[in-house]
Amino acid sequence: MSEMIDIIVDSQTYKVENGSLLIDLLIREKIKVPYFCYHESLGADGNCRMCMVEIEGQKRPQIACDTLVKPGMEIRSTGANIEKVRTNILELELINHPVDCPICDQAGECSLQDFYMDYGLHNTKVTIAQKVKHNKHIDLGSNVMLDQERCVLCARCTRFTDQITHTHELGIIGRGDEARVSTMPGRKLDNPYAMNVVDLCPVGALTSKDFRFTQRVWFLKTANSVCHGCAKGCNIYIDHNIMKYKDDVIYRFRPRRNDAVNGFFMCDEGRLSYKELQENRLISPLLNGEEIDEKEAIVKAKNLIEKCKNEITIIIDANLYTEEIEAILAFAKELGARVCSPKEIYMDESFQDDLLRCANRAANAQTIERLGIDTNEPNPSNLIINFNHPQDFKATSLISFLTHNRPCSGLSLPIAAYSENEGTLTNIDGITQKCEKAVYKNKPIPTILEYLQKVRA
Amino acid sequence: MSQNMREGSITSDRIKVTTRHGNSFKDKLYLPAIYDGVKVTFKHLFKNLNNINEIDTMRYPEEQPQDISSRYRGLHRLTHRADDSIACVACFMCSTACPAKCIFIEATTREDGKDEKMPASFFIDTLECVFCGYCVEACPCDAIRMDTGIFALTGNKREDFVMNKEQLLSYKGAFGEECSCARD
Ligand code: SF4
Ligand code: SF4
Ligand code: SF4
Ligand code: SF4
Ligand code: FES
Repeated sequence: MSEMIDIIVDSQTYKVENGSLLIDLLIREKIKVPYFCYHESLGADGNCRMCMVEIEGQKRPQIACDTLVKPGMEIRSTGANIEKVRTNILELELINHPVDCPICDQAGECSLQDFYMDYGLHNTKVTIAQKVKHNKHIDLGSNVMLDQERCVLCARCTRFTDQITHTHELGIIGRGDEARVSTMPGRKLDNPYAMNVVDLCPVGALTSKDFRFTQRVWFLKTANSVCHGCAKGCNIYIDHNIMKYKDDVIYRFRPRRNDAVNGFFMCDEGRLSYKELQENRLISPLLNGEEIDEKEAIVKAKNLIEKCKNEITIIIDANLYTEEIEAILAFAKELGARVCSPKEIYMDESFQDDLLRCANRAANAQTIERLGIDTNEPNPSNLIINFNHPQDFKATSLISFLTHNRPCSGLSLPIAAYSENEGTLTNIDGITQKCEKAVYKNKPIPTILEYLQKVRA
Repeated sequence: MSQNMREGSITSDRIKVTTRHGNSFKDKLYLPAIYDGVKVTFKHLFKNLNNINEIDTMRYPEEQPQDISSRYRGLHRLTHRADDSIACVACFMCSTACPAKCIFIEATTREDGKDEKMPASFFIDTLECVFCGYCVEACPCDAIRMDTGIFALTGNKREDFVMNKEQLLSYKGAFGEECSCARD
């Protein structure tokens, strides 16, 4: 680690590591600077020229993303001069831009729109009869749609496939007006992390085929959560919305930055797992496949538990929140029940890679281990109470608390999914993280904690 | 609560006490006041009987208003492009601007090569609508207008007042300018 030095930005002194990138300081200190091509995960590329600042003693403005800080530097990030430079660069950017905002999914979270409002609002000096035409709505594969006209050629997407996934599917071809992003002829964008380019793209050139046209982004509400796709526990935003007269629905997952866990990214399978989460939910209690009343179901459950006392096995899904697992353990102790959480079903070696995805597909497997819960198959017993474990079990009697509908004999009771509930998870590296409650259903489904209370009463 | 406020928060120098009227014998009789009122009514009656063509009111619905201008905010319509297809691109600007939140749009991909997006369904609940015209102002495509000149809607049930895409497209503009000026 090199020494810390003082530099001055807008007449204020900041401590910063000698030789680090100026833009990192500006971003860290939340000093407003527009940029397209720089990204903290991809490093400097210096191609968009949006990030200009004035440096004392230098004749011309310099780009902040490729400037290393030196002792005694004096930077100006605001002022008429630099803002004029930014307006001019923006004007060049917009000459051939289609300004598709009404039909562009990025509108509302678009850097180009934001910078235009901050530094643009100019009358253009360049008027051309016809803007340069490129291809629109090209299906790149992996749920990514490309609009070459909206692209600002920042090369974030190509650098992602080069530096992060090392799959090199995307490149910029042609020169000048002709320059555009493309895949190799006949090749598709195809890697398990491909959809991250949609988040990386600062404009609407790359949009998600899955999310496209479902919602305008300004309607969405966001909650912080953690992906339940595997034991890595990538941090996510859950974007959801209640349309008027409708129910709360999740429209997309987006990765949330956490340098200790997932950095800026998440895998596509995790990103799309919001669908499975909402489809085919169990909403009413079932007895051998027949719908029954909730009160009746709880009485039935109580009677069964009473009848089979001391011959009960409780099975816990390793995706439940730590709070739920602990409450179930306490409940099991009261009943004198055996507890287990068979592990085999969660293991999927083919899912593992060296970026984020890991072979253990249970989000809270670490907590199961920490609490010393048996991970072998259960012994035969009179009554099995299954708390959402994905496996099917055989027993004389069966009570299953399930988030999703599946053919099950015995008594099934619906429970809230993780998005409708809050709690903590510990990931494979032992990092404990909190998930907020995101979804508020019009008719809430009870959580495990609520059921335990009812069964005890 | 109001008692407290009078005693506590408002000081006496800020209270203006007005004397109550109507306590005299003449007021309590009521008859002089009724006479005054009826006098006005009859004055107008005789004036109008003498001059029946100058009356300010209109015998609606037999007689229809003739002075609806192009700025009048009547029932909405969705405009067309030159080739008669829908102009709306389902950008949701109107429903975002709508203070009554009564525009319900579902977007889908447009396949005919014009733009990429169009509404799969488009509903306006005219019972919730306050006819403010913000939707027209907000539309970047001149796809929604309130220039049908239709000011009276009738129906037998609430659902009759929820206009769907086909209905909104079928209304004609009452003042020329059939097509959208912003989409071709
Ligand atoms: S990329 Fe941004 S500026 Fe361009 S059309 Fe999309 S929202 Fe508008
Ligand atoms: S597609 Fe997006 S990320 Fe890729 S170069 Fe163009 S603007 Fe940048
Ligand atoms: S006129 Fe006003 S209330 Fe009615 S749909 Fe338009 S924006 Fe909404
Ligand atoms: S009517 Fe206009 S504002 Fe409303 S969705 Fe259609 S194009 Fe957008
Ligand atoms: S961010 Fe510095 S040149 Fe693009």
